[in-house]
Amino acid sequence: MKILVTLGAIALASTASAQDYRFEEGSNARSWNLFAESNATFSGTVVDLTCEVTGDCVDNCGDGARQLGILRASDGVLVNVQKNAQQVFTGGARDLLPFCGQEVDVDGLLLTDEDLGAVNMYLVQFVRPTGSEDWTEANQWQVGWQADNPDWAGDGRWYRRDQDIRAQLDSTGYFGLGLERDAEIKAEVFE
Amino acid sequence: MRRLSLGAMALAALPFATPAFAAADGEQITVTGEFIDTWCYFSGVMGGPDAVVGSAHHTCAMWCSAGGIPVGILDPDGTIYMVLKIEGDDNNTGGETILSLASDTVTANGTYYQRDGLNYIVVEEIVENMGIVNENHLDFGTIPGFAIPPGER
Repeated sequence: MKILVTLGAIALASTASAQDYRFEEGSNARSWNLFAESNATFSGTVVDLTCEVTGDCVDNCGDGARQLGILRASDGVLVNVQKNAQQVFTGGARDLLPFCGQEVDVDGLLLTDEDLGAVNMYLVQFVRPTGSEDWTEANQWQVGWQADNPDWAGDGRWYRRDQDIRAQLDSTGYFGLGLERDAEIKAEVFE
Repeated sequence: MRRLSLGAMALAALPFATPAFAAADGEQITVTGEFIDTWCYFSGVMGGPDAVVGSAHHTCAMWCSAGGIPVGILDPDGTIYMVLKIEGDDNNTGGETILSLASDTVTANGTYYQRDGLNYIVVEEIVENMGIVNENHLDFGTIPGFAIPPGER
């Protein structure tokens, strides 16, 4: 009997650890085919994470220099926004900043993987002020980056043109171990 | 229900630039771990957790840091501390400080917070920076495989 109870508890725990489907209804988010993803649409307030967690607050959620989160209206949970909708290594703060302190609806993907410690993490795909009918796609990171760095225009992905990244690569290489090691490793890896 | 009602009243009453709910008191800690790109680690989008750390993933870690993806410190037991500030620098969506620390293993003193299942840290001092100690490139090459463009291989 004790074994059965234990197995049942393990089964329940395993089911609960995979995804969080509580906010799936009404979501039109696109799948990224991630193991830990679940569609999620909910309402909440856009907040400065540093302010919300530590009490160290600045105006306008840090003007883009601070990570943002969503204080979910239904349960008061602070959702950590990790990612926007673009598949180019970009976070979600730029897309949420226009809504700092405002009530919004969001649609996207929650990440839940208790083995890795992922809980209440979010990829935002769409955002709108609560009460509005019109969604805005959370895909503005590159537009902002180009506006901030007009001299870095050109062909290719932003991460190939970003001169701060280029300076690091020129200093320590693609593996971060110094240029001499970098050349040795590349010869070994790509031989 | 009571919690929601109180929360709504608190939001309406608070002036701008204050936390919506009372921020928790932090705890002083010392942590040793690697500065990682948390999206690749938590999502599995690039592969398993062993592949998205260290020298193999260094270039991608810089891309994500510069791209505004949250940075964390991964300690040896697998705990991740989401980094909010580093030595007074509150820019955690990009910038020189977090970019230059990508993939480095450090020992840091800071203030630890826990909120809704996640760990957060305000790093007050990096006591030691050991550089990149997880040399996993021979196991994984580069993650992603296109990190180094063909012309630079």
